Amino acid sequence: MASVKISNLEKAYGAIKVLHQLDLDVEEGKFVVLLGPSGCGKSTLLRMIAGLESVTGGDIYFDDKRVNDVHAKDRNIAMVFQNYALYAHMSVRKNMAFSMRLNKTDKKTMDEKVNWASSILGLDDYLDRLPKELSGGQRQRVAMGRAIVRDPEVFLFDEPLSNLDAKLRVQMRTEIKDLHQRLKTTTVYVTHDQIEAMTMADEVVVMRDGIIEQSGTPMKIYDKPNNLFVAQFIGSPTMNIIKCQVTEENGTRYAALDKLRLPLPDDRDLQVGQALYYGVRPEHFKISKAAHDINASSSLTGIIKVVEPTGPETHVYLTLADENLCAITRERIEMKPGDEIHLQPDVSHVHLFDGETKNAI
Amino acid sequence: MNSEAIKNGARYFIAIAIVAVFVFPIAWFALTSIKPVSAVFNKDRVVVFDFKPTFDNYRVTILGGRKSDTNSSSSILMGTSGEGAYDGRGAIASSLIIAVCSTILATTISLLAAYALSRLNFRGSQGYMHWILSQRFLPPIAIIIPLVFIFRDLGLRDTHFGIIIAHTLINIPIALLILKSFFDDVPKEVDQAAMIDGATRFQCFYMVVLPMVKGGVAATAVLCFIFSWTEFLLSLFLTNSIRTIPVKITTFVTSTGSEWGYISALGTAAIIPGFIFILLVQKHLVRGLTMGAIKD
Repeated sequence: MASVKISNLEKAYGAIKVLHQLDLDVEEGKFVVLLGPSGCGKSTLLRMIAGLESVTGGDIYFDDKRVNDVHAKDRNIAMVFQNYALYAHMSVRKNMAFSMRLNKTDKKTMDEKVNWASSILGLDDYLDRLPKELSGGQRQRVAMGRAIVRDPEVFLFDEPLSNLDAKLRVQMRTEIKDLHQRLKTTTVYVTHDQIEAMTMADEVVVMRDGIIEQSGTPMKIYDKPNNLFVAQFIGSPTMNIIKCQVTEENGTRYAALDKLRLPLPDDRDLQVGQALYYGVRPEHFKISKAAHDINASSSLTGIIKVVEPTGPETHVYLTLADENLCAITRERIEMKPGDEIHLQPDVSHVHLFDGETKNAI
Repeated sequence: MNSEAIKNGARYFIAIAIVAVFVFPIAWFALTSIKPVSAVFNKDRVVVFDFKPTFDNYRVTILGGRKSDTNSSSSILMGTSGEGAYDGRGAIASSLIIAVCSTILATTISLLAAYALSRLNFRGSQGYMHWILSQRFLPPIAIIIPLVFIFRDLGLRDTHFGIIIAHTLINIPIALLILKSFFDDVPKEVDQAAMIDGATRFQCFYMVVLPMVKGGVAATAVLCFIFSWTEFLLSLFLTNSIRTIPVKITTFVTSTGSEWGYISALGTAAIIPGFIFILLVQKHLVRGLTMGAIKD
């Protein structure tokens, strides 16, 4: 196992810069997820760590060893690709043993390692099958088996679950996390699915346009987003954002949009007239059909557009002063589109972002 | 009779009619090869099946039998060329040597070039592909005269090696284009996975990608073989004594007439190696060997 350190890393294709002076530390044994929308540079960064892309500027270290000019085959890493990239003409056993065959490992060790990996991944019955005879989930497990038999310094995953159906994705997510807990190998995992990132990572690195917007534990990123982009990217349904202005009435400050008055937390340094983005996660709205059930002074009234019961909770999409919002409740409230609904944001969980810089206040 | 049955019937009828159009000349040709001269040259009617089969034409053209020993009267009809003029054994050997060697050469060279063009990014690779394609724009007849002089000066004229080189050069562009498309179908991630597993670039090619495109290699080799086996123009101009089968057959058309029996016998025999070759590799001719490597 090794730690990975990235220092001032840059990548450019001709005049187009895709990564801008990135710094990142992946501690030994940690599971780090690179998260971001398509084109943010997360896969490029992963491929640079793998040695599949050249480095334009900056350095990559495995422990204290600079690996910029070390060929992919000499980095002792293992990578799982989105499309599995299995060797179609080789059986599962041969796929997994390929790296050992190249290293001229003796047959006994090779068999032991393949059997160990196949038992961990539940592939014992499929060792002599060809990839085309396996399901998507089994193929992905073979790709993981091929990676773990190498006992690599670093595990790299490039959107490995994107091609699987929803149910299998959840199952494989758990399997990958379980595998990491057992092997404790340093892992860098790329995804655009924030649920994957939240559920699997020790640390999430949110990227956009070739820069790192924020990194930290999943809950830190969720609870304390540094800026509007991170706030909106993390969380499903996404955080409600209302662009408004600080106003003062009767000695109380509000975030105002037309006639709408939203309560502000007391602990922020705000100026009257300051433009800001007011953010509330859907679960931080308290909703009720009757106004007296919630604090009337800060109650807001919206019109329900869509009700989505998911079982444990219900997602309510509504309009409030021409703004489209979403609220989540775990209570069983009778609601239908067109109904009025009263809601109240939990002020202690309100997120405020500067109207210009879009950074958290 | 419902419309589905009519559709099916029409489909079969059209399929059989199309196959018949292609098969009939070959079948007639093969039938002619076992007809006696009297059945081939019957002025009164077309003889289809009512003749006594003879293998004299084969005996002379591919077993080297003496023409004068035949029971047919073709030598009386056509006049007599020298003994051995109809012996096609040398031509078969030459054609085999040339076709096999040029196929191996063209396929090997194209494989390496196609892999490089598919996988390596280098300046001008796109232009290079167009240039390769442009090599097929010119009909061979347009370059035949300079080619004859060049081959004569290099001492390659009338040698097996010379024809092998000529056929290889003609085959490379098309083989390269076909193989490149097969390599392009194999995702680059497969190479990258192999490299991360510790393979060198050549090991990626040889141990991983090549086995995944063996269907394409077989298809390309068949095409190269068939081209070389049937090629006439270059073989005619670049040889005097070495004769490939197509060139040899033209010598059966003499000033006193055409030896249709011998032409059809050697022609029919010439179909056989190509046919066997295709039978051997036909299971590789279907694409889909890469199935399972990636998400379908």
